[in-house]
Amino acid sequence: MKYFLVQILPYFTVALFLGGIVWRIWRWMIARIVHNITLSPFPSNWVAAILWILWQMVFFWNVLKFDPWLWVGAWPMHVALFSILGGHVLGIYTLGTQFHLLFPWLITEAQSEHASEFLGTFFGIIFFVALVYLLVRRLTLTRMKVLSSTSDYLHLLLLLAISGVGNYMRLVEGAGVTYAEARTFLAGLFTFNPQPFPDNWFFFTHFLLVQLLMIVFPFSKLMHSFGIMWERWIVNRPYKEAPLGLPGVKLRLD
Amino acid sequence: MPLVDGLNQPVKAGPKEFEGLHLVPVPDEEKPAEALKWLDYYRKERRSLVMAMESCVKCGLCAEHCHTYLGTKDPNNIPAGRADLMRKVYKRYFTVQGKLFGKLVGAEEISMRTLEEWFSYYYQCTECRRCGHVCPFGIDTCEVTMIGRQILYNIGMIPKLHAATDVAILRTGNHMALTPSGIVDTLDFLSDEIEEERGFRIEFPVDKPNSDILYVPSSADFFLNPDTLKGAAEFFEYIGANWTISTRITEAGNFGYLSDQTRVQRELVNRVWEEVARLGVKKVVWGECGHGWRAAKMYIPTMSDYPTRMRVPITHILDEVAAYIKAGKLKLNPKNNFRAQGLPVTLHDPCNYARACGLVENLRVDLYASVTEVREMNPNREKTFCCGGGSGVLFDDPEMYQLRIKFSQKKADMIRATGAKVLCAPCSICKAQFHAMIPEHKLDVKLYGLIDLVGAALDFKGHRQV
Repeated sequence: MKYFLVQILPYFTVALFLGGIVWRIWRWMIARIVHNITLSPFPSNWVAAILWILWQMVFFWNVLKFDPWLWVGAWPMHVALFSILGGHVLGIYTLGTQFHLLFPWLITEAQSEHASEFLGTFFGIIFFVALVYLLVRRLTLTRMKVLSSTSDYLHLLLLLAISGVGNYMRLVEGAGVTYAEARTFLAGLFTFNPQPFPDNWFFFTHFLLVQLLMIVFPFSKLMHSFGIMWERWIVNRPYKEAPLGLPGVKLRLD
Repeated sequence: MPLVDGLNQPVKAGPKEFEGLHLVPVPDEEKPAEALKWLDYYRKERRSLVMAMESCVKCGLCAEHCHTYLGTKDPNNIPAGRADLMRKVYKRYFTVQGKLFGKLVGAEEISMRTLEEWFSYYYQCTECRRCGHVCPFGIDTCEVTMIGRQILYNIGMIPKLHAATDVAILRTGNHMALTPSGIVDTLDFLSDEIEEERGFRIEFPVDKPNSDILYVPSSADFFLNPDTLKGAAEFFEYIGANWTISTRITEAGNFGYLSDQTRVQRELVNRVWEEVARLGVKKVVWGECGHGWRAAKMYIPTMSDYPTRMRVPITHILDEVAAYIKAGKLKLNPKNNFRAQGLPVTLHDPCNYARACGLVENLRVDLYASVTEVREMNPNREKTFCCGGGSGVLFDDPEMYQLRIKFSQKKADMIRATGAKVLCAPCSICKAQFHAMIPEHKLDVKLYGLIDLVGAALDFKGHRQV
């Protein structure tokens, strides 16, 4: 059973994850943008429109502007999430020497490992705390309670569980696995050459929950990460105004 | 009638209206299945609907920015909650998670109760797009409301007000069922009034062949806001325009846009081009109407099936006025403005101008040049709040009327805070709403459109007839 969950299921998970995302986006693309429903003030050209979309995506500008108390939780949560994702890829692939590889003249390997450790711990805690904040917000505010369905809480709990186990492995001495152990196993998965799974139940739980997240992802509201681009593509687009000045009048504009 | 299963609802259209619309309503027991078919159709047709259905994370940000929720505290009036009335059905029938997990992900079967809820809440939404403006993802709940109303229309659930107005559109080309003789008569009367006010007469040319400009006024102006018509006439007279009003399209608004976008809205679109061809018009100038200007500016290009070579530019009268003011061609004398009379004026930004048409700064160019004192509301421009009557929810039945008072509460507070004595609302529906709401909220303001104030400030001395 365990062999199936760690050596075989991941392939199905990734297929479902990537295939599901493509399928969802393909479904969005079936429908057309029928009328011009861009929000004014209009961007003057496509460059401005795309910059505005990126600005919104990077800083959560509307959240900051219209609900700062939500931003306090949402923005750090997402920044931490993306840092953690990047950290996982780079840290495991380079065994924590990513900063040394980037700036070899500036940072030694040992320093890079320390930095990797520190940033991982830092963002791990931020992520967890921000998620708790968002969950508490959803549980206490009247308007959030009436809006939420069970799955909204479950998504948060799933993320909390993943980061909880991850943080535990990082913070408790000897509870986690080393970068090298994880890399050996993952490299085995990527090269279709199965390697032994690290003998660690926390790592096993962490690994399994992440797979669950990847399976749920394409079939849930988590697709908002792609949805924002497709939605804003509709409502943030340039508009060219018709020229002013009336024909056949005695008092001419020019 | 207005209270169905505890839901506030406008009075529904009956056989008489269906006959006028050539619509065969679906029998009640078949309505849910039919509505589902239409939802399936629109999810494959409108990307804006699909994205609204599939991108919301229920962050709740929109709640405090929606005037209907602020006024009623009804969770179904939170934009996300209102969209959820449709989303729960969408999830149940068109998504994997909804088919597999049902209630757990908030999916629900469609029933007659669902449709009654749609009818109630999609006719409480004023399609002001403030939720679209504030949403981090840009989800435009207005699109959900529009599709919701369209599906309800298709199965024969239409408010009497909208249905009767749609019938009038198909029959006469305007909301108020004005006849050509009625139009000529009213305009003649307004010419007399101008003569009394100014000492010289300004004629309103009607159906004049070989006109350069077709002015499309709101038909409500003929009853409620005669000053708006007079202001426009004063402007056209001042610049010496060869203009006309058509009796076949005497409507800047478009109730079809607010209830049936497939046929009724198209009727007014086609009438524009027919009249452009008939009268030899070179440019169409739109009158004051918020949703109407959006329907004209943003929808005519994609909705009209007239060949492009038969089309002419369409602009808004307030944009044109602003261009003339910026070029320094209009002599405006704010002190002699006999409509504002030197009183402090506040400007209501109509939602459709501000968030859908980019008509914000030009309003200010016009207003600041025409009156002595302007006091800006807060929030204003694209952050403006709706008057509470947007998208034609101007229902008079008691329950819905009470809701209109609640919807306009936020706006009334904002107006009161400015301490202004004149309220300038350059939109026909806003004016209709304010005419009723000013006494309800005991506001001490006089109501004008914007072109009314521009016209009154125009200094005709040394110009043409004076």
